[in-house]
Amino acid sequence: MPKRFLTAEDVRRAGAGPLEVAPETLVTPHAKQTAEELGVRLVTGGGDWVPSAPDRGPDAEGGRATLPHLPEPEGDDEAGSLIVTAVGRNRPGVLAEVTGVIGEAGASIADVSQRMIEGFFHMVLVVNLHPGCDFATLKQQLDCLGGTDDYAVNVMHERAFRFMHRV
Amino acid sequence: MSFTEREILETIRMVALETLDIRTTTLGINLMDCADPDLESTAEKVFAKIVHHAAELTSVADSIAADYGVPIVNKRIAVTPISWIAAASGATDLVPLARALDLAAEEVGVDFIGGFSAYVHKGFTRADEAVFLSIPAALAETQRVCASVSVASTRAGINMDAVARFSGVILDAAERTADEGGIACAKLVCFCNAVEDNPFVAGAHLGVGEGETVLNVGVSGPGVVRSALERLGPDADLVAVAETVKRTAFKITRMGELVGREAARRLGTTFGIVDVSLAPTPAVGDSISDILEVIGVERTGAPGTIAALALLTDAVKKGGAMASSAVGGLSGAFIPVSEDQGMIDAVRDGALSLATLTGMTSVCSVGLDMVAVPGDTPPSVLTGIIADEMAIGMVNQKTTAVRIIPVPGKGPGETVEWGGLLGTAIVQDPGQFGADVLHARAGRIPAPLQGYRN
Repeated sequence: MPKRFLTAEDVRRAGAGPLEVAPETLVTPHAKQTAEELGVRLVTGGGDWVPSAPDRGPDAEGGRATLPHLPEPEGDDEAGSLIVTAVGRNRPGVLAEVTGVIGEAGASIADVSQRMIEGFFHMVLVVNLHPGCDFATLKQQLDCLGGTDDYAVNVMHERAFRFMHRV
Repeated sequence: MSFTEREILETIRMVALETLDIRTTTLGINLMDCADPDLESTAEKVFAKIVHHAAELTSVADSIAADYGVPIVNKRIAVTPISWIAAASGATDLVPLARALDLAAEEVGVDFIGGFSAYVHKGFTRADEAVFLSIPAALAETQRVCASVSVASTRAGINMDAVARFSGVILDAAERTADEGGIACAKLVCFCNAVEDNPFVAGAHLGVGEGETVLNVGVSGPGVVRSALERLGPDADLVAVAETVKRTAFKITRMGELVGREAARRLGTTFGIVDVSLAPTPAVGDSISDILEVIGVERTGAPGTIAALALLTDAVKKGGAMASSAVGGLSGAFIPVSEDQGMIDAVRDGALSLATLTGMTSVCSVGLDMVAVPGDTPPSVLTGIIADEMAIGMVNQKTTAVRIIPVPGKGPGETVEWGGLLGTAIVQDPGQFGADVLHARAGRIPAPLQGYRN
């Protein structure tokens, strides 16, 4: 098993010349600094040592596979959809504004419902994201719509509703 | 549409109006491999390992909050109890390790790191002694480090030597932070039946049976439960009340499960548990006390409070257990007095005494939490309060904890402001009688029959 850590003390003890470091060894910031000060080159194989990704341990490798799939059926293709709601004062063009942004982003609308309650409109859209259509960008654009005294848009990933409401 | 409009609006109302949030995503990091004969090298490894593993914790949590529209309030780190890491060095002053933890937490942008801890429910090692000696200075000198000690369990009984020593540690820590209302004690807790996967500070640490790294989630949502019960109205019977809490807890837990799975996936680590705890904050409406009052007691602390809390804790667990196969941690209802506006008011109005509060801890998920007492409380009285609480946990085979703050210079009824999440406390009166002889007796209270389960 390779060394877990390379500390400043290890670098000092090794003295001058290149120091061989296994790829999975974690070199502490202090050791890096000491190596620079002493002119010790950290090498792996023939080349310079480069930091590796954290080793999350043996459990992490199979971790996701052991999670129960419910409430997400295996092979479900709806993972890429989101729910957009808008509530506010009714005026001409609201639906067009919201759907326009969605269309421009390259997403498609799977379902629409709109109702008026006491002069305020409530709109719910189910939007399917297509490959290449970025959730974060679309959410940001939709969040920018409306305003105070106008209407407010809320965008949430469909998974949030599925986890909350499906057994 | 795959969801009804009512379902969709319910979720949005929970987040937007009822302060549903994920209280904490806590990354547990095993530090066993950091042990070194040289304490300085141990500290160096501890810092490096935490930073290496947790560098992306806050950015991942923020990205999940943005994607799913649910706020993730805190990002925290739990590490292996430090006494096990320090033992190889033989050092007696472990403050350098506390500084390393603090610096690492600062580097990765988390507000608290738990694990300056020791397990002494049956006996002390030299390293455990070093932890006890170092806790007051460690907590006074650092901002983010939290300390916890296990002093009792159903299997081992109560280590009264440890309880008596811990009383001294509390008083010393309070004295060192006297100008801040003894705030070091808000980062210090002792346990009976300590939980090894607890994601909530101050008791967060990564137990010995846990893996290399693990992502645990603590949910919250007292506001959501209160609103659901208010909509149910005062005429519904108690089965309907329990059912409503259960259904609400299910939904809250599922959000935790979603966030936990997703955070673990994005970090490339294992998803551990969802801690299904209703955790209040000082914000108005985010209160356990309010729920108890909606269930039907005039004020929290009035007769009926313990029954209402028992119903609440049990229903939360049942809803949570249905929602996730990975329920763990403390899971239940927290009653940190200073962090819950309803409880602060109840103490101020004389409705909630220390005695009733102790009774409540026999049915809540934790114990005496964030309770302020006068700064001149004798150690023997603290020992008595802690021993009582540990006995409740030991006999009932549940976790109990004590996080008590002797506020230097303050007497019963006075107010102390800690600010932020720690809130405001009214100093409570522990009474005029002590437990000097109990405090002075050495030894253990033997494990109860309930502990002999094999």
